[in-house]
Amino acid sequence: MEKGRKLLRWTGVIAVSTVLLVLGAAAYGIEQAGDKEALRSADIIVIDTMSRFGRLDRPPVVYRHDKHTEALQKQGKDCAACHLKDDKQRLSLKYMRLQDLDRESSMLVYHDNCIACHTETLATGEKGGPITCGECHLKSPNAVSSWQAFGMDKSLHYRHSKALDKKCGDCHHQFDEKTQKLVYVEGQESSCRYCHKQQLEDKRIPFSEAAHEACIACHRETLAKKKEAGPINCAGCHDAEQQLEIPTLENVPRMKRNQPDVVFVKTGAKSGLTPEGALRTKAVPFNHQAHEIYNDTCRVCHHASLTSCAECHTVNGIKEGDFVQLEQAMHQLRADASCLGCHTEAQADKSCAGCHAFIQKGLKGDTTTCRACHMEGAPAGSEITGKPEEAMLATMLLNARTPVMGTLPIEDIPEKVVINKLTNKYQPVEMPHRKIVQALVKGIGDNKLAANFHADPGTLCQGCHHNSPQAKKPPQCGSCHGEPFNPEEPNRPGLIGAYHIQCMGCHSEMGIEKPVGCTECHKEK
Amino acid sequence: MAITRRKFLGWMGAAGVGVTVGKTARAASNKHFTGHPDSMGVLHDIARCVGCRSCEAACNTVNQLPPPETSFKDLTVLDRKRRTTPPEYTVVNRYDATSAGSKQIYRKNQCNHCLEPACASACFVKAFTKSEEGAVIYDETVCVGCRYCMVACPFEIPTYEYDKALTPRVTKCTMCHPRVQEGKLPGCVEACPTEALSFGKRDDLLKIARERIRKDPDNYIDHIYGEQEMGGTSWLYISNVPFKELGMREDLGITPAPALTAGALGAVPIVVGLWPVLLTGIYAISQRKDKVAEEEQALAVAAAQQATQEKADAELKKTLEMKEKEKETAINMAVKKALDEAAKAQEEAAQAEEAAQAQEAAAPAGEAAPEAQDDKDQKQTEEDS
Repeated sequence: MEKGRKLLRWTGVIAVSTVLLVLGAAAYGIEQAGDKEALRSADIIVIDTMSRFGRLDRPPVVYRHDKHTEALQKQGKDCAACHLKDDKQRLSLKYMRLQDLDRESSMLVYHDNCIACHTETLATGEKGGPITCGECHLKSPNAVSSWQAFGMDKSLHYRHSKALDKKCGDCHHQFDEKTQKLVYVEGQESSCRYCHKQQLEDKRIPFSEAAHEACIACHRETLAKKKEAGPINCAGCHDAEQQLEIPTLENVPRMKRNQPDVVFVKTGAKSGLTPEGALRTKAVPFNHQAHEIYNDTCRVCHHASLTSCAECHTVNGIKEGDFVQLEQAMHQLRADASCLGCHTEAQADKSCAGCHAFIQKGLKGDTTTCRACHMEGAPAGSEITGKPEEAMLATMLLNARTPVMGTLPIEDIPEKVVINKLTNKYQPVEMPHRKIVQALVKGIGDNKLAANFHADPGTLCQGCHHNSPQAKKPPQCGSCHGEPFNPEEPNRPGLIGAYHIQCMGCHSEMGIEKPVGCTECHKEK
Repeated sequence: MAITRRKFLGWMGAAGVGVTVGKTARAASNKHFTGHPDSMGVLHDIARCVGCRSCEAACNTVNQLPPPETSFKDLTVLDRKRRTTPPEYTVVNRYDATSAGSKQIYRKNQCNHCLEPACASACFVKAFTKSEEGAVIYDETVCVGCRYCMVACPFEIPTYEYDKALTPRVTKCTMCHPRVQEGKLPGCVEACPTEALSFGKRDDLLKIARERIRKDPDNYIDHIYGEQEMGGTSWLYISNVPFKELGMREDLGITPAPALTAGALGAVPIVVGLWPVLLTGIYAISQRKDKVAEEEQALAVAAAQQATQEKADAELKKTLEMKEKEKETAINMAVKKALDEAAKAQEEAAQAEEAAQAQEAAAPAGEAAPEAQDDKDQKQTEEDS
């Protein structure tokens, strides 16, 4: 062979094998990187200030805030080492600057200050942070943020108001348009989030900034006075484990904010609110006081303001309410703030799910369920004006309700039911019927919501004895469930399927593990 | 054989045009086969399956399969993933789906009875048929044991009896075709206690599946597996965990398996039919042309040869005539010369005789006779030539 061709052939072989080796090593390398445990921390901030200016030259820096706070504390420094004070003596949440700068300066702010401090620390002989480019701008940083959102709930709020001696104005403020200043108006305190949203709006700083400024500043001051205060580091509020360690009160005394005890739910007509819409359905008497107990915050229902729902959610829908009509606001299944939404969520509880997982959710167009809230004897929605007499009427109606679980007398509940319809392979099932009913009642306990809807004695039975009129002797399963796969009734299981889906489904939804396998329910023949 | 560029391009062009003349081949008849009308199917609701293996037991009984090594009541076999084997037309596997928390999910695995089966497409002895009832059935009498069906099946279902090589048999779920024809339910469907298997017309099953998903959207994944996978299958699945976590391939696409090869295979008849004729024709034409040219050339050569020959003959004749003439002339001259000589000789002889007579009186006459005799001889020979 010519010398040239031999050389070419060997070059080719070496080139191909090099490529394969590199690719293989790269793949292997990636696997190895993934083996290391990712660092999980609640204080991880990804510094990507430069992303405003377009494509980044280097990957954004993964910065651990708490680590730095601790290190600086040891050096005797505090927040002011990195966060400058503005003219109102408030700490800016930005690093070493009060405002965002242009591209070059933004970069230099970080480089000059961070690297300088790191170099200083190294010079003293202590462990310092990275100095070179690639040590901060890691291509594949092995850190995962375990940051959990955090907010005020009524227990925490009570502890704060107690600590501050009920000086609400220390935290709560409003913006007065006339004087263009922040003022405190008593009786109009509300959640920070109603004004401070996720993003900066005009001069309204975003919620996270507002919270950090207000909360941490106050905590720092209090700590400086050597008193007990909340956390000032990231993990103290935002780490899941540390969140559990925050003390909570079981029975929080009621917050006084001029809220009603019992009221007819306003519908916006003739009640001094928006004039449109004449709601003809019977108004719903609503026990506001009781519902305050059931929820951790007011925000769950009062998601945008501490006023009546109908102010924004009118009967026909207006812009302020995002055109969400009053009916949707009250009945929408997936909204936490809606009555039906919250009640449906409650049905997912293990004591309820056995039956309710199989019952169709939402409005059923069946008068009995509607009447549970739109009670007989209540005035029409259009007649509600907000007069004090109405509150008394509402209270009377609610008291007339008997929030007691309705059950049939014990002798009407069969103790054992023998299911012997299909006995080819197995012996008849001896079902402990009364025990099951009693267990269900026990599971409900004194839950008022359940009691209100199950006040009628026959209602609970319909969990299993479904799709038939309420009766003391409900129809047998086999009177509707027969041969499977009937094209006329495509969604109706056959008898075997009906038994197993109902019994095993209920057990599975309620987390009951006991009858395991086939022979625990029916022995073999 | 040397071929000119023009010829080569001509052949290629003709062949290419020949292929485009035919229509693009498609699998079956039209665009998309959605199953025989009123064909049946089975809907497997994975959320309802509890892994009791009653379906496996029923399949074993109905198909009179050999009894298993471990009883069907033994649920420890679910500890490892199993595939179908010659005596196990269907298996139930347990999956620890991560998205469902610590819940254990069970799924029954068997032939999916595709609307356009890959096994039927791959089998060159037509052992597999898509029946009108929806089941894909197998005829073991024609099977040659090549196992192309096992290669082709995207779900890796067909199994083979390797220990009986001389009587090749592939086994897989039959959707209990004989029972279905009698109006009965497939064995597994009848046995399932929780109605995780529903039997009915495929179109109805799709509606039932959609209704179940609609009623419980938080529970079910919004997808019916088998509705379109591999062009659609008769065995449909709905699930409460992603299908990938149940070992079901999500990369199959919606093209039926036969359509993947239909294009190339459809071109074979036209190629096999058209190209030989076309190319032979072109070859023949070009050969004929050559042949005609050859013939003409031969003719021309012959004619030329003949002309030359005639010319040569004419020339030869002419030359011969000339030679004749020359010869005659020469003869005449010679004769004349001879005569002249003879005359001369005679004269001399006469003279000599006179002299001789004169002398004779003094010499014998014998010497003059041989000379005259020689002359006569000469004259003879010259006349002869």
